[in-house]
Amino acid sequence: MKEVRTIKERVYSRYLQKKGASKLSDWKNILTQLTTSEGKPEALDDMMVLDLSYANFSGNVTASFLAEAGAEVINVEPPEGDPSRIMSPYGANVKGVGIPYLMESRNKRQITLNLESPEGQENLKRLVKRADILIETYAAGQMDAWGIGYRQLRELNPGLIYIAISPYGHYTAKGREMAEMPWTDLTSQAESGLAALVGDLPDAPEPYNWPTRAGFYAAGYTSAVGAACGGLVASFFKRRTGEGQMIDIATADAYASCVGFPPTIGYVWKKPRLRYGTLDYGLCPYGFFKCQDGYVAIACFRDQDFRAALKLLGQWKIEEEWKTLLDRITDDIDKVKELNAVVEKAVGKYTYKQINEKFASYSVKAAGSKWRGGGLPVTTKMMTPDEVLQEEHWQTRGTFPKIAHPSYGIVTLPTTGKMTKTPLRVKWISANIGEDNDYVFEKYGLVKK
Amino acid sequence: MTEDYFNFTDKLFAREDIDKKAEALKGIRVLDLSHMIFGPTAAKTLAQYGAEVIKVEVPNQGDYWRGGTYWGKYWKHSNPLWHFINPGKYFVGIDVKKPKGKDLILQLAAKADIIIENFTSGTVEAWGIGYSQVSKINPKVIYASLSTYGQFGPRRYAPGWDLLAQGASGVLSVTGHPDTDKYFKVPDFFGDFFPAYYAAMLIFIALNYRERSGEGQYIDGCQAEILMRTLSHFTYHDATGESLGRTGNMDPTMSPSGIFKTRDGKFVAVAIATDKQFQSFCKALGRDDLAQNDTYKKAASRLKRENALALNKVLEEWVITKDVQELSGLAKKHRFAAAEVMDDVQISQDEWRRERGSAILFEDDMYKKLLVEGPIAMLSLTPGRIKWLTRPLGYHNRYVFKKILGLTEDQIKDLEKERVVGTWDYRVGQRPPIYHDLSKDRIFNYEGGEDH
Repeated sequence: MKEVRTIKERVYSRYLQKKGASKLSDWKNILTQLTTSEGKPEALDDMMVLDLSYANFSGNVTASFLAEAGAEVINVEPPEGDPSRIMSPYGANVKGVGIPYLMESRNKRQITLNLESPEGQENLKRLVKRADILIETYAAGQMDAWGIGYRQLRELNPGLIYIAISPYGHYTAKGREMAEMPWTDLTSQAESGLAALVGDLPDAPEPYNWPTRAGFYAAGYTSAVGAACGGLVASFFKRRTGEGQMIDIATADAYASCVGFPPTIGYVWKKPRLRYGTLDYGLCPYGFFKCQDGYVAIACFRDQDFRAALKLLGQWKIEEEWKTLLDRITDDIDKVKELNAVVEKAVGKYTYKQINEKFASYSVKAAGSKWRGGGLPVTTKMMTPDEVLQEEHWQTRGTFPKIAHPSYGIVTLPTTGKMTKTPLRVKWISANIGEDNDYVFEKYGLVKK
Repeated sequence: MTEDYFNFTDKLFAREDIDKKAEALKGIRVLDLSHMIFGPTAAKTLAQYGAEVIKVEVPNQGDYWRGGTYWGKYWKHSNPLWHFINPGKYFVGIDVKKPKGKDLILQLAAKADIIIENFTSGTVEAWGIGYSQVSKINPKVIYASLSTYGQFGPRRYAPGWDLLAQGASGVLSVTGHPDTDKYFKVPDFFGDFFPAYYAAMLIFIALNYRERSGEGQYIDGCQAEILMRTLSHFTYHDATGESLGRTGNMDPTMSPSGIFKTRDGKFVAVAIATDKQFQSFCKALGRDDLAQNDTYKKAASRLKRENALALNKVLEEWVITKDVQELSGLAKKHRFAAAEVMDDVQISQDEWRRERGSAILFEDDMYKKLLVEGPIAMLSLTPGRIKWLTRPLGYHNRYVFKKILGLTEDQIKDLEKERVVGTWDYRVGQRPPIYHDLSKDRIFNYEGGEDH
């Protein structure tokens, strides 16, 4: 691994010595600036966010993203806590707090307010007067019924950006009809076209050929990043005009709107895609194949990449039959299976290290040589999360800070968002119910009963 | 008597008003040097909210996704799956490897607020159009480099895309059934699209900061790292000392949960998140014994592996006795989450998505009708919108070079002769549809004056 890296580095530094290229020292200087957040300003430290998420994890995550960029995020829970606290794989928890909740409690302030009581509503209004963004995930219309919905709060604070996240949104006939339907990530995956495509081929045994879930909150995080983007666009507009607005997210759709394939494919081809196992609709080979010590990616986009991969895997003899991209993208599943099987068999003879070295050294030669076809066969090994944690690359990048908390000990969390001036960062975690009541009540002049 | 809430919101988000409303990013110019999905989608998000996005491609070659598509099937001489990734952009063809082409790109970069690229680390620096050069002529620029492994760290030179990022991040290894030798990709290039929205979010953060401080900056958008941000498995591993691995089609954070077959041969996802939902779910099931059972009453105990698996079995056996409609009715009545697994055709025909604007049947001047996705976030005051679908390679050359760079027709003709700028070749995906009459196209033959 180390040696391969050095060859690649040499090729790239040769690029940088070309006429017209940037100065290597200038570039290195920028890269050095990326490596740390110490002493740097925070982009959103003039922003206050109220996170009222209740039993809908996408809200918690939206707030986390803003908190990592420096916003003061106040998580407002009912006195008994947000049910998301215990949504955790097989109930795993640290001192009663579930893993996902703990992971998303970064840089937040935890307070409790009873929003159904007049006192709680008054305190919320005091906070809203100072807030830039409010995030809520209650049933559509619930906040309004309590007298603290968007149309009441915008009277108190015309600059307020009010983000509502719910399964079917706060408008349309279905939004009204399904207002009481609770959020879950699994049903969101099912309704947004994701689950229909994950799973083994139709001829595989049940239940392996049934729709399958992406093994994490794929729909939840997609809703969250969409909500954060919307909130930040609105915040940019507010900085220019002073005006606030309402933002609506429907979690039952967010994934489909993010990837965009399901509506257009259904419309153009009028035929739903089936579950495709480990194959790919776009092209072949494009997937992870079992090698002697794990799973390795073989992905050939262009003809030259395919030719390179065939040479390296000792399968040149089949080149004639699969020459052009159009031979390798087909809806004839039997043909795809045939090519896939050839690749599978070839890959099975090698270890990951062998394949990686072959591929990496070929790329280097091909990069400077037109007659070799310029192919760029790329590969990587499938990593489990436990293996990822051990990798030098992510350790160098500081992807997994370990944060200490008096109740929860040391907590490992993923974070990302390297920027030269205002990088995202994790400063602390705060996950006890009402942990920051004293701080927030005093700072914002809230009234204790 | 106050107005009904949904009457209020239906007006607030009325689709017929969208084109009359303001655009939040109006006046923001974006130079999109990226290709395939990851970079272009981040740029698309900016275009959606009103930014002017200029997409630069290599003449006669273009973005490889132009010729992509599924099953080798095209639509009006284009890849239908390309239109929703690049709508509303300006398409220019410039060869960066020609010195004059590089100069043109730098001239555009000098006038840009945001630049997005997604080549392997170091490539744009080698071409002389990286942040280290652009920041000298345009210090306020926000420059986002998007790549699989990021700009620093020992693996930074390794190329990659969706598939590799899913593998490198751990996302692939957690999707599928336990104790099988198959790991399923998360479909439809999730490994490109999610990181693209995340990268757009970083750009919006930088844009908010620039509005406060006047300062630009450089962003390192690392695809694999962004995917890791969605996994609780790392925290789980270090907190419990165990690996979660694959969990099939159940969600281990909810109990019971899973995707099951109905009596009419359809599939339904059901998941119970809270204790309250569990109580009403038991009512629907007619299983008061489960509702009263201390093992299942509280989430902490209900979620334990053996208890969750036992409840999932009960759920599976119940679902197979019901039709999908009956299940939806019960879920609505008893307020627990259940949803039919929807496929491409169901989504494309879904009335709710059309009404909401999550799926838009767009009428384009060149390509006519196509159903494309709407924004994830609906903004009441500055809603996202589509102005046109994509255009052929180099379609906006004259429009951009004359209007933004002030070039004359003769100068452009010289650049064309020298092959510094250009348009399409015969290949599918690059050229306009056959019925389109280019000689009458006033944008393609732009002479000055009107806006697009």
